[in-house]
Amino acid sequence: MIETIRIGTLLRETAATPYHNLITRPAGAAVRDRIEAALAESRCLIALLDFSDIGVIDFSGADEAVAKLLLAATGPGRPVVVLQGLREDQHEAIERVLIHHELAVIVVPCADGGSMPQLIGCVTPDGREAFGCLCECGAQQSFHLARTLGWSESRAQETLRALLERRLVHGDGDIFLPITIA
Amino acid sequence: MTRIIEVPAHLDDRSFEQFAAGFGAWPPEDKLLFDARGAQWASPYGLIGMLTAGQALAEARRDRPLFAVPASTEVKSYWSRIGFFRHAADFFELHGKVPKSTASGPSDALLDVTPVRAMEDVHEAVNRISETAVRILRAELGLERAVTGRFSMALSEVCQNIVEHAGTGGWVAAQTYTFRRRLGRRVAVIAVSDAGIGFRRSLESTHAKRFGERWGDGAALEAALIQNVSRFRDPGRGQGFRQIKPFLDKWEGKISIRSGTARLAIVPAWDEDVPLSEHLPFFPGAQVQITIPAPEAEAR
Repeated sequence: MIETIRIGTLLRETAATPYHNLITRPAGAAVRDRIEAALAESRCLIALLDFSDIGVIDFSGADEAVAKLLLAATGPGRPVVVLQGLREDQHEAIERVLIHHELAVIVVPCADGGSMPQLIGCVTPDGREAFGCLCECGAQQSFHLARTLGWSESRAQETLRALLERRLVHGDGDIFLPITIA
Repeated sequence: MTRIIEVPAHLDDRSFEQFAAGFGAWPPEDKLLFDARGAQWASPYGLIGMLTAGQALAEARRDRPLFAVPASTEVKSYWSRIGFFRHAADFFELHGKVPKSTASGPSDALLDVTPVRAMEDVHEAVNRISETAVRILRAELGLERAVTGRFSMALSEVCQNIVEHAGTGGWVAAQTYTFRRRLGRRVAVIAVSDAGIGFRRSLESTHAKRFGERWGDGAALEAALIQNVSRFRDPGRGQGFRQIKPFLDKWEGKISIRSGTARLAIVPAWDEDVPLSEHLPFFPGAQVQITIPAPEAEAR
């Protein structure tokens, strides 16, 4: 189950100012509190955070609203966080902050799901390639991935396990699945 | 006795040192007269620097300084349009005829002189710049829409520094103009200034020990801009300047920060500024300037 959270709506409900399109540090912290409260009441497996009606998210706001949310959302039973609707500058702000914290997150570009998901943040080139391959080809065991990418099986297994540990893919026994939003 | 503070004919981040030297020991004991009669031009940095001086004098409970307004009608009119006199009237006894800002027509500034005292002011500044920046930055500098978003992000970060670190209010203004002397291109400039405690005092309790005898205004600026430290223990803090730097690198931008008696800059190839200047005349608080030039191919 996917819970879509519109960040613009949360910001309007949260912010004490009449300006509702900028996420600064305090606004980001307030938004994170609201997201965590919403997720605490939800049984969703995926939290889809929609930034499409946000104007500017600065680095401090990205640190509070996204990085700290991800740092807190690592435990089992917590939903996987996916971001949606980021503009180029917002994407960049969030990515830089995630790299600083050695975090990564899945991003889907728009609500229609027309484009492929991608990873932003601190991810190895192998991790990106394996993630892209899973998104394109669907569920795979590590030996399938190794064959597709021309890797050794241990390299494929290590890469997929790292993605699974960071909750960037699902796992079912020895099968690895992309996290799908559609 | 009244001490005269000469406002340089062209007041920008360079000639600001001449302006700052006029105060002597801070806070000055004498009554002050800011003499801007010969002013021909002032950058946003210069304008909000003068307001910062007025604010700092008021906060130090010194006599209300006098301010002789520029003789040039054109200069007065521009300073009025950008909102300088509206705020200056709170700190100075203005001498000379000042045109009403409404009579001078709308400002063509990216962002008029705007006070920053609380987070709401940061939101207001970013909101105001967002409305005009896209149009002006694209039309005058040929910058892409993606750059204007980053311009707003940079503005937001440097303004938040005032709210979080200065311990008092400050000012922000932004403008585009042609940087003839050093660059020969149009530039967009954000200037932010506060009359607060400055970088050295803000970071002293958490970082001075590490620097030992080297600790001072220059070391504090280096810690904040180069080493990205913060007085907060939160590992996510200290990111603002660090994250602005790649954006400036990409667009050949420049950032300079002045605090106390030092000034530190990240200097692009087109500029001849020195990275670190120390032993400058003391000036209260911190002053930041970010300069983004038009791309070379689209210089006009």
